Amino acid sequence: MTGRALDVLIVEDEMLLAIELEHLIEEVGCHSLGCAMSSDEAVDLAEKLHPDLALVDVHLSDGPTGVEVARKISRDCGGVALFMTANVKRLPDDFAGACGVIGKPYSEHGVKTALSYLRYCLQQGQAPGPVPVGLTLAPAYAELWGLSDVLPKIA
Amino acid sequence: MNDYSEARRAGDRLAAGHGVDDPFAAAIRATHVAMLVTDATQADDPIIFANDAFLKLTGYDRDEVIGRNCRFLQGPGADPQAVSALREAVAAGQDLSVELLNYRKDGSSFWNALSLSPVRNGAGEVVYFFASLLDVTDKKAAEVRVRDRRDDLEQLVEARTHELTLALEQKTALLHEVDHRVKNNLQLISSLLLLQNRRVTDPTLKASLKGMLGRVNAIATVHRRLFQSEDVERFDVSAFIRDMVADLMGSAMRDDIAVQLDLERVDIAASKAAPFALVINELLTNALRHGFPEGHGGRILVGVARQDGEFRIEITDNGVGMDRDNRPSGFGLTIVQLLCQQLKAKWETTDAEPGTRVIVLLPVNGAH
Repeated sequence: MTGRALDVLIVEDEMLLAIELEHLIEEVGCHSLGCAMSSDEAVDLAEKLHPDLALVDVHLSDGPTGVEVARKISRDCGGVALFMTANVKRLPDDFAGACGVIGKPYSEHGVKTALSYLRYCLQQGQAPGPVPVGLTLAPAYAELWGLSDVLPKIA
Repeated sequence: MNDYSEARRAGDRLAAGHGVDDPFAAAIRATHVAMLVTDATQADDPIIFANDAFLKLTGYDRDEVIGRNCRFLQGPGADPQAVSALREAVAAGQDLSVELLNYRKDGSSFWNALSLSPVRNGAGEVVYFFASLLDVTDKKAAEVRVRDRRDDLEQLVEARTHELTLALEQKTALLHEVDHRVKNNLQLISSLLLLQNRRVTDPTLKASLKGMLGRVNAIATVHRRLFQSEDVERFDVSAFIRDMVADLMGSAMRDDIAVQLDLERVDIAASKAAPFALVINELLTNALRHGFPEGHGGRILVGVARQDGEFRIEITDNGVGMDRDNRPSGFGLTIVQLLCQQLKAKWETTDAEPGTRVIVLLPVNGAH
């Protein structure tokens, strides 16, 4: 495992999912900053805590506000957002500035692999290899991390 | 009336060339088709001959039409396009067939299928125009009825199409909503199992929970895959197995076991996807857990092929085999047995020397 631990913010209104995610984050050697359940809470926490990575569900307690949350975090808070949603197809083409998406339902292994992979990408500025199963990268980030030739298949 | 007498004389000249016994002239006079001759050599092309059928059709007397240009037949409903086509044909000395709305003396209108032909002299100059007029009002009315009916039908089809499009949009939205809820609930179930697994210390209970988690994950993998393809009715077996193997091998953390995939692209009905996934999950888990105890690595082959109207799914390991005291749990095998029965699939386990080979034969169209 390379570099310092990533600070990860969870933006998820389903409490049990959030708690389990915290476990997974800690298990791959990252640091959980806590959990936001609404868009306001998410933006407040992101501005205060400056997470390296925010795991963002699209449907939050105040509605389908996750896309805007991801946009604000990546634009205003210097963090990188990653969607975790059951509605992968409804995401905007530019991923609202997020680096990618993990489709729900994800598996324990899928999330851990994706987090380790993204930690490498964020800290080294390039991908360690092909994108793991379960993770789809935004086109902009795939290019940034040197994967423009091996774009993940969404289908 | 100078025009009239001049036209009259021209008519007489024309008639002079065709005696009373001329059968053609007689035919033109007597036919039920309205006919006219105009003199192209005189100013404004006046009528110099009109047969009885024309007079009957239009309601005019002969001396009311001789010497006049035909345009008196036109009226407020005339189609400017047809009128200008007529004017151009006359000016150019060309044939013309056109349908136009004309008016009788009493003001009533009729649809006139007009045929116009120039008549040339020996020098090739246009000297007369010959016109026949046919009342096609009935045909026109029928055409209008057909067009109205077609417009009505088109409107009906359009309205119905709109309704169906809306219904389809609603159905699609509903499908997405249900899909979304199913996925979120599966996520919730798997998180619940994971959370409880963290609290439990008893190894037997932990193994049970892990087993259930694997089964839920298999169903979750199905649902992640199901709506990714455009065809919601079909389920891509090979893509599923690839995901399933990646996840199982990844979470098993057994670098000493290599997996070889030999997958032909085959589809099954989406309704069979979940039981199929559960069967594959049990068989793969068995191969992993019972074929390769800790410290004993090896290779697993997973193959999918179409063979004689069946899908042949093979899972072969070169592990320690199942003859010892490492037989798979009763519950896992029960699941395989019951679901194969449900899928009308045949299932057999043989010795791969070394290891175990499991073959599942799934009927392509639902029955053997």
